[in-house]
Amino acid sequence: MTDRDTIHAYLKSLSKYLSRLEKADADDVIREIESHIYDALDARGEEGQHASVKDILAGFGAPRDLAAGYVDHILEGAAPPKGFRAIQHVKKGATKGLCFAMELFGYGVSLILIVVGIYKAVAPEDVGVWATDSGQSFMVGVSSIPPGSTQELLGWWLVPIAIALGLATAYLTKRILGVLKEKI
Amino acid sequence: MNLQEKTEAKWDIQLRKGTLELVILAALKKRRLYGLELLSLLHGFETMLITEGTLYPLMDRLKRDGVVDAIWQQEGETRPRKYYELTPQGEEKLAALTLRWRKSTEDIEFLLNNPGPKTISQRGG
Repeated sequence: MTDRDTIHAYLKSLSKYLSRLEKADADDVIREIESHIYDALDARGEEGQHASVKDILAGFGAPRDLAAGYVDHILEGAAPPKGFRAIQHVKKGATKGLCFAMELFGYGVSLILIVVGIYKAVAPEDVGVWATDSGQSFMVGVSSIPPGSTQELLGWWLVPIAIALGLATAYLTKRILGVLKEKI
Repeated sequence: MNLQEKTEAKWDIQLRKGTLELVILAALKKRRLYGLELLSLLHGFETMLITEGTLYPLMDRLKRDGVVDAIWQQEGETRPRKYYELTPQGEEKLAALTLRWRKSTEDIEFLLNNPGPKTISQRGG
């Protein structure tokens, strides 16, 4: 990639993250930063230093972080004063806790379903889905004494259904965690 | 990095958080500067090494707060540059912050110059 391509890619990415701003404001930001980058390149060239676009862009930080500095006031009324980091920290903690709980719950349910499916294949008599005649309650699981006078519903179907549900739950959990972690 | 350098680096970061706005306003006192000029000026001081990523969003906020104005200008063959200058409101704010800054350093100096064990008599104001 040439310097010009690198700069263009950076500004394009920045522009994407600035999309919450009014178009004119976002264009103004892009124009100013573009002007700075080329000025800085020229200045370093004149001093005989090796002018590195990478170094200059590093000073601006990742496009997403840089954009956040411009966009935060829209989301929160005003960019929080730097001293207010503590609140951000607490918020982050809560979200981390939520992530962990979600992880534990989602993968836990998934694991149980898969184990039930596999266990059915090993010990078909003890595993199943039972419901009372009136249909008011049902039970899924492992039981050495099948609940009295009720009919096991799924039979061998339990194996693929439980495993498929388990995998689906794991996938769903992964997707939800992806979204949660993105927000942090 | 030894302990003293670590202490210094941490101190600079903490102090900058609180004083950056004053620093920017002071740098623009009776001066019109564009971003790169302003950044180079600050980089001439070892305690003011802020990055581009800190400066530009801050300038955007100061503009929204009405303490600085930004004007695009092109001179001769150069590419257009966005110049910043203080607004009357910015000058007022700079004057107020300057007084507070001087008061703070004066108070800290006083403490530093008056170690124990003798007690410090309450100074008026």
